[in-house]
Amino acid sequence: MALSKEVYKAFEDVVGEENICDDPAIMPSYYNTEFAAVLLPKDTAEVQAIVKLCNKYKVQFRPICTGWTGAFPKGIILLDLRRMNHIVEINEKNMYAVIEPYVISAQLQAELMKRGLHLNLKGAGANCTAMLRGHGHLDQTTSGDDRNHLALEWVTPEGELVRIGSLGSSDEWFSGDGPGPSLRSMINSAVPPGVTPGVFTKAAMKLYHWPGPPRFPIQGLSPRYTLSEIPANMMARYYSFPSVEKMYEAELKIGESEIAFELMGFNPAMVACNITTCNEEEEEVFPRISKEVQGPGFFIILAGNTPEEFEYKKRVLAQIVSESKGRSLKSVEDPEIEGILLCQCVRISASIRETFRAGGAFNSIPIMGQRDLTIKWAIGAGKAKEPLIKKGLIVDDGGAFFGWGVEQGHLGKTEIFCKYDPQNAEAKAAVENWQKEQNTRAFKERYFASTMGPQNEIGPALSNYHLWWKKLREALDPNGVTPEGGALV
Amino acid sequence: MGLEQYKGDMEMCCRCSACKFIPMQTVKGLQYSYVCPSISRYNFHSYSGGGRVNIGAAALKKGFNYTDKLLHVVYNCQMDGACGVSCNYAMDMEVLQPIQEFRIQCVKDGKTHPALDKVIAGLRKTGSMVPVKGKRGDWAAGLNIKDATKEKVDVLYHVGCLTSYDKDFQKLAKATAKILQKAGVDFGIAGDAETCCGGRAYQMGYEADFLSQAKKNMAMIKKSGARTLVTGCADGYQAFKVLYDKYDLKGNLEVLHISEYLDRLIKDGTLKPRKKVDISVTYHDPCRLGRLGEPWIHWQGKKIPGDRFVFDPPKTYRRGTQGIYEPPRDVLMSLPGLKLTEMTRIKEYAWCCGAGGGVNDSNPDFAMWTARERIDEAESTGAGAIVTACPWCEKTFNEAIKETGSSLKVYDIVELVEKAI
Repeated sequence: MALSKEVYKAFEDVVGEENICDDPAIMPSYYNTEFAAVLLPKDTAEVQAIVKLCNKYKVQFRPICTGWTGAFPKGIILLDLRRMNHIVEINEKNMYAVIEPYVISAQLQAELMKRGLHLNLKGAGANCTAMLRGHGHLDQTTSGDDRNHLALEWVTPEGELVRIGSLGSSDEWFSGDGPGPSLRSMINSAVPPGVTPGVFTKAAMKLYHWPGPPRFPIQGLSPRYTLSEIPANMMARYYSFPSVEKMYEAELKIGESEIAFELMGFNPAMVACNITTCNEEEEEVFPRISKEVQGPGFFIILAGNTPEEFEYKKRVLAQIVSESKGRSLKSVEDPEIEGILLCQCVRISASIRETFRAGGAFNSIPIMGQRDLTIKWAIGAGKAKEPLIKKGLIVDDGGAFFGWGVEQGHLGKTEIFCKYDPQNAEAKAAVENWQKEQNTRAFKERYFASTMGPQNEIGPALSNYHLWWKKLREALDPNGVTPEGGALV
Repeated sequence: MGLEQYKGDMEMCCRCSACKFIPMQTVKGLQYSYVCPSISRYNFHSYSGGGRVNIGAAALKKGFNYTDKLLHVVYNCQMDGACGVSCNYAMDMEVLQPIQEFRIQCVKDGKTHPALDKVIAGLRKTGSMVPVKGKRGDWAAGLNIKDATKEKVDVLYHVGCLTSYDKDFQKLAKATAKILQKAGVDFGIAGDAETCCGGRAYQMGYEADFLSQAKKNMAMIKKSGARTLVTGCADGYQAFKVLYDKYDLKGNLEVLHISEYLDRLIKDGTLKPRKKVDISVTYHDPCRLGRLGEPWIHWQGKKIPGDRFVFDPPKTYRRGTQGIYEPPRDVLMSLPGLKLTEMTRIKEYAWCCGAGGGVNDSNPDFAMWTARERIDEAESTGAGAIVTACPWCEKTFNEAIKETGSSLKVYDIVELVEKAI
């Protein structure tokens, strides 16, 4: 649906001729959607002006950052936030960084490492916006989701500028809850139906201490970068365990002892993806690693501020692993492999190898909940993948899941993938059916209620949150200019 | 086959945006973290590697929907392959090849750029990509260089269009000749029989003109009997070594860039740089010597049905790994007194000078914009000069420096070697 000349001109007056385009030829580059136009606002004021015009002319819009994944209705305006790519502030004293939406995690992390700081990069990868809500490899120590968002700047669906948290009462970004308005309940999810309408134009991200070097000593050429040496007081290992129970026991103890810099419940398939540079190599390495492990496991990075602290952490880890009958994967003890994993998993630079490389697509069920329950569910979801693997519809990853404890404890994130060729209609249908069945099973067997499941079934069990959310959306967006859907990043 | 052969590759794009940045592990901060000049300048996703292959995939499904905007996207790309390197860190898919095929299709469909048409018209008339003044071999007058079309030589020095005809760059040809003579190399030039390699025509999408030039060159080389060709032009290097091979025209010809050849001569003791070259430099990897200079890999096969994007026989992707990165650096480091400091974006993820893909002709402002970014990056190293190994890079950098008033000096690698011997 094309914009009228008048409406187009109004938008053009905001962003300038160079930053608006309704040429149909460029639309396929974004998504398989015919947008009315794509706009490139440069700052919050332009975003506000665009959103107000959307309300005036009753034109729907959605924003994207780097735009990884996404589904959009036809005829809407796409706000590509690419020009909003500034790091506004890195406050070393109060340990937060204020960023615009198109600062990617790799950029912010690199700036932080130079300053002895770090952030919880999300598992989606270093190529995604650093503002992304979600989970990452540091969840055990830093928590995930909204714990790491401090003050936010939000352009509401009506174009009002809301300064959330401490920003609401001062020019400071140190808190997401105040002094000032805390709107966490309204902005707490990127998962349907809770995709927050409007546009986040700036966010303060919570920072943490980084005990490693200002820069990893990378050597070699893409795609096989290695480290010239393992940085002092750092170590990466993969441990497998005789049972899920033993693995979980070790995970909990590691959380309680607070020794891990990063604990990532990789499965062997993900290790294979990370350390290989192409599909053929991965197909060869995965079965070999699978034979080396005794059962489920996790990847862990230890980092000490001093040699003494590092030694202490190593001894604690050795004891925990021994008590839970864990076994170190020899392949990862090879310093070259250790270096590859250490760097890639801190920088989260190889998530695309784990997800898209094999067939071009993956579907996933990510769960945040009571870790032991979600693990039990994931074992069943993994078994349900086996017939699809046998038929050659999805990639053989051993049916494995992954995840980790959050906030050193029993809460956790668990996730399971199906990787497939999206051009294969049978595979796509089978994966979507698997997703639906496993979400339904999770709810019926009382493991958890996924908000990705059918809302009319799940909502009533969760205080009819979906109805409340609908009312909230209507109040926030009286002109209905923010359709559901969009991109996660 | 054209674009069709890359249908599967284009459909693999997961729209992750990695193609816009240097490989994630190499990102050292906010500054100098982008790798693609086109998306960096024009911002719409269409100008990125991913956006381009998505447009290509849609064109195969729905036909080519030519508009002015689409042609702006097509011709504002240096075809420098950086997107592919960043993509191929994680993904197994061709990126630059479908972009190249898309451009070739545009030319076949008559959707050309007038400035490029003019350049190609000149090529067809004069065998040169630059305006012709005098004869191609005039620069060699009085230098006592063999005519390889008349005398048998071990090494044929292919001079290239810009170095032959542009008075500002003939110094590179003269320096090269002086060095080779000093090293006692039995070499010659084709003089007026030399013609354009066709590489830049290929980048611009004029495949037929490229092939015409390639066939002329290989006929001349075959007749001369030369087994080794050395050139100082990165475009020429890629054309002779990679593109001629892609089209099965290269035969057994050994193709070396002058930096590789000098590295060989220095390492085997034939050439001894003894004079001090007290200068602090940074080195710019020309795209077509670096990531796009890696050998062509002949492969034919088909996708194995099933869940993965794998082939029978297995396909080895050209990921920029086998480009020429160390020889020019080793040559520079062998020069007494020279100090080399690296920029942030180097080797397989180096930022383009701006001149590739015909952009210096189709959109000189964009070429300058790109070059200014590189000059800024070079200045950030604290070096007094930027050294490159391609006359097109040197030309673009010099123009950018003139525009910005930077005090940075620009050298080709042969100029510094000449100073040291």
